[in-house]
Amino acid sequence: MMLFAIVALPLLAAGLCWSTREPRVAVAATLVSSLLVLALAVRVAFSVLADNAVVAIENAVAADALSALMLLLIAAVATTAAFFSWGYMQRMSHDPGRIWFYYLNLNLFIFSMLAIPVLVEPTLVWIFVELTTLCSAMLVGYENTRAALEAAWKYVTLSLMGAAIALLGFLVLFSAMRAAGGETYTWEGLVSAAPRMPPALIQTAFVLVLVGFGTKVGLVPLHTWLPDAHSQAPSPVCAILSGVETTVILYVILRMLPVLNAVPGLETQLWAVSFGLVSVGTAAFLLIQVRDYKRMFAYSTVEHMGIILMAAGLGSAAAHYGALYQVLTHTLAKSFCFYAAGAALLATGSREISAVRGLIRRSPAAGASLLLGGLAIAGAPPFAVFLSEFSIFRAGLAEERYAAVGLLVLFIAIGFFAVLWHVNRMVFGRASAAVQAFRLPASCSGVLVVAAALVVVSGLYLPEPLHDLLQRAAASMTR
Amino acid sequence: MQSETLAALNTLAGGLFLLCAFGIVATRQVKGCLQLFVAQSVLLAASAFLLGARFDSWHLIAVGVVNLIAKPVVIPWILRRTLHEEIYTRREIDQAVNIPTSLLAALALVILSYFLTLPLLEAVDPASRLGNVPIGFAGLFLGALTLAVRREAVPLLIGVLAMENGVFFAGIALSRELPFIVELAIASDGLILVFVVGVLTRAIHKHVGSTDVGALAALKEESGP
Amino acid sequence: MAERILYNLLQVAVVLAFAPLAVGVLNRLKERIQSKRGPSVFQPYRDLWKLFHKDEVVSEDASWIFRVTPYLVFVTPVFVVLLIPVLTSYPLAFAFMADMVGAGFVLALGGFFAALAAVDTANPYGAMGASRTRMVGFLAEPVFIIVFFTVSFVAGSTIPYIVQKQWIASAANFFAPSHVLLMAAFVMLILAEAGRIPVDSPSGHFELAMIEESKALEYSGRGAALMKWGGQMKFFVLMCVFLNVLVTPWGLASSQSAVEVLLAIPLVLGKIFVFILLLVAIESSLAKLRLFRISEFLGAAFITSVAAMITRLFAF
Repeated sequence: MMLFAIVALPLLAAGLCWSTREPRVAVAATLVSSLLVLALAVRVAFSVLADNAVVAIENAVAADALSALMLLLIAAVATTAAFFSWGYMQRMSHDPGRIWFYYLNLNLFIFSMLAIPVLVEPTLVWIFVELTTLCSAMLVGYENTRAALEAAWKYVTLSLMGAAIALLGFLVLFSAMRAAGGETYTWEGLVSAAPRMPPALIQTAFVLVLVGFGTKVGLVPLHTWLPDAHSQAPSPVCAILSGVETTVILYVILRMLPVLNAVPGLETQLWAVSFGLVSVGTAAFLLIQVRDYKRMFAYSTVEHMGIILMAAGLGSAAAHYGALYQVLTHTLAKSFCFYAAGAALLATGSREISAVRGLIRRSPAAGASLLLGGLAIAGAPPFAVFLSEFSIFRAGLAEERYAAVGLLVLFIAIGFFAVLWHVNRMVFGRASAAVQAFRLPASCSGVLVVAAALVVVSGLYLPEPLHDLLQRAAASMTR
Repeated sequence: MQSETLAALNTLAGGLFLLCAFGIVATRQVKGCLQLFVAQSVLLAASAFLLGARFDSWHLIAVGVVNLIAKPVVIPWILRRTLHEEIYTRREIDQAVNIPTSLLAALALVILSYFLTLPLLEAVDPASRLGNVPIGFAGLFLGALTLAVRREAVPLLIGVLAMENGVFFAGIALSRELPFIVELAIASDGLILVFVVGVLTRAIHKHVGSTDVGALAALKEESGP
Repeated sequence: MAERILYNLLQVAVVLAFAPLAVGVLNRLKERIQSKRGPSVFQPYRDLWKLFHKDEVVSEDASWIFRVTPYLVFVTPVFVVLLIPVLTSYPLAFAFMADMVGAGFVLALGGFFAALAAVDTANPYGAMGASRTRMVGFLAEPVFIIVFFTVSFVAGSTIPYIVQKQWIASAANFFAPSHVLLMAAFVMLILAEAGRIPVDSPSGHFELAMIEESKALEYSGRGAALMKWGGQMKFFVLMCVFLNVLVTPWGLASSQSAVEVLLAIPLVLGKIFVFILLLVAIESSLAKLRLFRISEFLGAAFITSVAAMITRLFAF
């Protein structure tokens, strides 16, 4: 029942936005629904910890530990984004009469994302993955500038292309399951039928799904849309896109890994690790020459997606724990980074790194947040991202993958220095002409404080239930 | 009807499907592109009917009906409602590479898809070893090629839809017993797709001035401060 | 044996006699579709008669090529007629002299000399037309080769009579995608080789835009008549190859009786008439392509023929 409520609430909010078209109703509906969804997600997490799974409809709608983790993350980012949008859109939007449209799309987007961890049949999951693209298309192009529309168009076309390829992958997967004599086309059913699947079919299916959904996740070389879309959208939307949406699609790919591991004699580990490393490396080098700070954070997303995929590909339980821990920390830190970027944009009005200097003098809140966010996402200790990356290194060394871990350390270090250099230039130094005295909207500062607290606290202390959840989710991946 | 004639007609539908995919890559006129897509969808439905008759599966026939209604009828209707009239009269003067080259690339992709699907077909059960699978894969690749070489908005959308057509064409041979509700959901998903992209194209037409989205290439790292 | 030679010669006579009629019917139908009255279907005969009775004017600077070409252009289709099924579905006396590839060479020989002759006179329009014809011919060659390769791969032989048996074996063979695609590719080839819309406008008078017609610009009197007649016969031959070899042997005599063979004449003409209807539909609904777009048109024909070949080679 809770699962249905979680999915239905944003849909209701969207309906309210559509029917009344009043900005205040839209804002209120969004805020209320996101808070309720967060509460429900926490309850689902506790239920999963108690009963091992929450089942609403057998073989159709259910949540296990991994799904509960995803629901929690989506709900958290959705709530912070909703609150941030409140102040941000009021300040930034040129046309108050269109705000309802923004909230409509926002709620539909959140709805489509929430449905993905909750469904267990791959083709239904695919449908909602496509829906995330479609619902966020108008959000990316919301500002109707030439650049925003270009970003939206590239986003839509590349994502839909990837979705078509992934659909073929799922259909091949279905025929593989039939060839193995399986009956239920769910993640569980696939894992149990896996040992009897013909290797050619399952390998083709995996490659197709990896390439297809890898486009949406932002894996190199299919990532070209990501910097554009994740920088041209309004900042709260970027936070959701970078923070949680790419992760949710990566979750779908991660769901396929236990199936692959159960089929004897496949080289999937190699694929996942190499794809991951290529993404991390390319993103690290691209971070050096970036000119726009939102694009910088977008490239950082590519880098982290690569890290997570590589960690999942390493194969051991510890590596999977590291990957999921990285998912958690990346979501918290990346959304915070984009809120900081949004604050910086409000303060300076420019996206260019070179146009922003001495931000800390102009708007202490924005400057401090940007500094904190940059440090956190680059992987500086004592923040959580550093801890999760370190646990991945440890797991990799335990598996004796010295070359892979060495490359990973190198690339992460390059990215670290690049991000810090850019953030340093922006936050400190003499105030440039574009920087004048400024006050952030109340809700934005509130969100910044909350998100910063989460980022800082998660580096120091991981609550026991959360740790349990991560462990169970990692165990389910290492079947 | 005899199963041999059914098989022959199915292969015929496959060959014409492939030809439509080639046409979608190469046609200059936007309207022509849309008509070819409609033809391709009708051929997909025809193949679904033929396979349904051959395997005695009402489920495949239902798939055919859904495709016949959704793609040739509803999608052009949605496009007409969301797009400005002027978009239909456009024709592409140039592609990213010239047309004979893209046709040759299309040919190479078809040959590639045949080679890729050979090991697949050996692994599937003998009843599924139909020409649908390589042609479906070819349709997928040719749709991706369309996305790569074309510059106008509507042909790019049709490229995406053609990719899905290809996926379905392979799917009706590979995954025949997929629950019908799923197929219905995928079809309606396709309709939402067309609607959203239509609205986006309209926004682009309104704010940028033309639907030549290939010309929108400003977001790069090299753009100076 | 004597009968076979006789029927072979009868084939030649039929083609000689009815080629102008085919073109006449085509022209008249095109005009009728455009709501005009159109010339009589026998007009080409009258034109040939008129030309044969006129004096010939030959430039002093023209070489032997110019003088020889009309005869070559006239004879090469006749030669090809000996090889292909026109009236009968079984091989006749001269059928094994050359196969389809040989027939293609012979037709190309005629076209080659026509292009040479056009250059020979130093008329600028002739040279332009000759180079354009060569471009079209060069682009059409791969299509020819692939089509012939596929049909002979299927039939195991390159003799037209044997190839033709292949397609009537079963409905499966007829509707096979390779067959349908081959037919489409060959129709596009006919349009290109016979100089019809969308490749070239046969009724245009604007020399700058001519492709096929400009080869015959300089001829007069008997030379012009032979060039015209030869062009019409080439068109007829291509249609025969398409209809009798690739599409269906319906209407062809299958036994040696004279009655059947004579009956085949109106039946084959009827088949050709149906095809002319299709051509009229194509010609009236398309516009002539710009010169450099012809490569795209023939590229499409090439792709279609290769698709036919692929679907045949990798048939499941």
